[in-house]
Amino acid sequence: MASRVLAQCVRTLARSSARVSGGNLAVRAVAAPGSASHRSFSVISNAERSRVLEQSRVSIVSVWCRQYGDLPPLTLETIRDRVMYVLKLYDKVNPEKLQTTSHFMKDLGLDSLDQVEIIMAMEDEFGFEIPDADGEKLMSPADVVQYIADKKDVYE
Amino acid sequence: MASNAATRTAAGAARVVKPLFSRDLDEAKRRVRELYRAWYREVPNTVALFQLDISTRQAKDKVREMFVKNKHVTDPRVIDMLVIKGKMELEETIKVWKQKTHIMRYFHETENQRPADFLSRFYQGHHP
Repeated sequence: MASRVLAQCVRTLARSSARVSGGNLAVRAVAAPGSASHRSFSVISNAERSRVLEQSRVSIVSVWCRQYGDLPPLTLETIRDRVMYVLKLYDKVNPEKLQTTSHFMKDLGLDSLDQVEIIMAMEDEFGFEIPDADGEKLMSPADVVQYIADKKDVYE
Repeated sequence: MASNAATRTAAGAARVVKPLFSRDLDEAKRRVRELYRAWYREVPNTVALFQLDISTRQAKDKVREMFVKNKHVTDPRVIDMLVIKGKMELEETIKVWKQKTHIMRYFHETENQRPADFLSRFYQGHHP
């Protein structure tokens, strides 16, 4: 079954690369065996793959590698920048007095409900749920960064 | 009476009572925070669904005001009862059992303000 899937993939790839390289007998030979047997198919693909690779290098590189969709990887700097950016947008926070180590309640003069709102803003920013038992302990931007790094497995 | 034992204080100054939901003040405060989170997330949907003429900001300020009004309470059972009433209000708002007028009642728009200074009270008259 896997060989049938692979054969179909190679057929489509070979067709696209045939269009790019302007048609080649070797490439068409690859496209010919539809549901060939296991051994013969692999022999053909190995032989033709090297030839096709030489001819149209640019298209093959884009065709042979898998492409997944994902967000850019998190680092401690990016997490810190995003946390500070969200905090500066909050209107009850004075942006000049905001440091990484400033305590929400003591330094910035915020309420416990304000702290809940800040944790909810962090949830929205980073896209994962922060339970209240953990959220009530995060009292400064450094704590928040550390917690997110722990949850997302980001380390130096 | 395990639940009574949990609420008994050392000095015995407080009465021994059966708790509603939470056994101490921290748990009650946690319930309050959870309720605030639920209301905060739900307020933009309410403003859109009921087509209220207020901004989301005003609605969130009103929610904050409702919570701050009861800030002084320290008894866990009273806090639990307030949380239960808040949850009932939230359920009625989410499931659209309320209507626009019920939600706008929070804003006291059509009630007459009681006069605060002497001259306004003088003009209003003395009705013993």
